[in-house]
Amino acid sequence: MKGYIKAIILIVLGLALFVPLASTFPDGLETVAETLGIEEHEPLWQGLMPDYTLPPISNAYASTFLSGLIGALIVLVFAFLIGKTLTRDSAP
Amino acid sequence: MHIPDGFLGIGISILMYIISISVLVWSWRKAKATYSKSLASLLAISSAFVFVAQMINFPIAYGTSGHLVGGTFLSVLLGPYAAVLGMTIVLLMQALFFADGGILAFGANTFNMAIIGGVSFFIVRILAGKTEKGGRFYASVFVASWLSVVLGALACGLEIGVSPVFSQAGGVSVTVPAMLFWHVLIGLGEAAITATLITSLHRLSPAVLNSLQLLRGKNHERIH
Repeated sequence: MKGYIKAIILIVLGLALFVPLASTFPDGLETVAETLGIEEHEPLWQGLMPDYTLPPISNAYASTFLSGLIGALIVLVFAFLIGKTLTRDSAP
Repeated sequence: MHIPDGFLGIGISILMYIISISVLVWSWRKAKATYSKSLASLLAISSAFVFVAQMINFPIAYGTSGHLVGGTFLSVLLGPYAAVLGMTIVLLMQALFFADGGILAFGANTFNMAIIGGVSFFIVRILAGKTEKGGRFYASVFVASWLSVVLGALACGLEIGVSPVFSQAGGVSVTVPAMLFWHVLIGLGEAAITATLITSLHRLSPAVLNSLQLLRGKNHERIH
C-alpha cells in the first residue's frame, strides 16, 4: 500500500513538473494530416475538458495541470473498479 | 496517434470496433483466469501513470512531437490481458472527457494502441527467451516498444489510407509511408522511456514485475 501512495505522489509531481515542458508541436498523425492538407473538423463530441484544459480556469498551467489531475483520478478509480470486478472470484 | 473523428470512413470504423471488441472480450476472459485480487491496485496506478505520461509530448524533429503510448510498459508490468484492458480504459476516458481520439474512431484507436501494446508482450517473450533481466531482456523491451509504435502507426496509416478523406490525398501509398516515417522516430522515444522505466522498476521493486512469470510460461499460478 505504501508503494502505491509513493507512486501516486510521484505521478502528481511528474505531472506538475512536466506539464510546462511538454511540446506543443503537432504529433505524428497531425503532421501527416497537415502535410496532406486535411483539416481536423470540430469533433462530434467536445468532452468536458477539451485539449486537456479546464475551460473556467484561464491560467494555462493550472488549467492543464488540474485537468490532468482529474483525468488521472478518473482513470485510477475506473481501472480499480474494473480490476476488482475482474478478480472478484479470484484467489487473494 | 489518436485518430480524431472525421478522419475514418464509416466502414473501417465499424470493422475496427468489431475487431477491438472481440479482442477485448477474449482478453477479459483470459484475464479472469490469470490474475489474483492484487491486480486492481496495480492496474489502477499503472493506467493512471500512462494517462499522465501520454499528456507529455516530446519534440522529435521538424516541428513534430510524440508522446509515450505505454502499451509495452503496461504489458511487461501487468501481462498482456490486463494491459489491453488498462490501455482501453485510458483511451476511453481520453475520448469521453478530453476529446482526445474520436468516438467513432475509438475502435481503431483501441486496436492501434491497446491491442498492439498487448501483442508486444509476446514480442518481448520471443526476443528475450527465458531471461527476465539483464541486457538481453532490456534490449528486448526496447525493440518491442519501438515495434509497438511502428506497428500501431502502420495500422493507423492503413485505416486512414482506406478512408475517403485520405484516399483523395493519395490513399494508403501516401499515408503508410508518412505515418511510418514519423513513428520510426517517435518509437525511439517510446523505446528509451519504456526500457528506462522497466529497468528502474526492476531495481526498485522487483516483486512488482511478477507478470514475467508469464514470460517463462509459468502461468498456472495467478499473478499480481
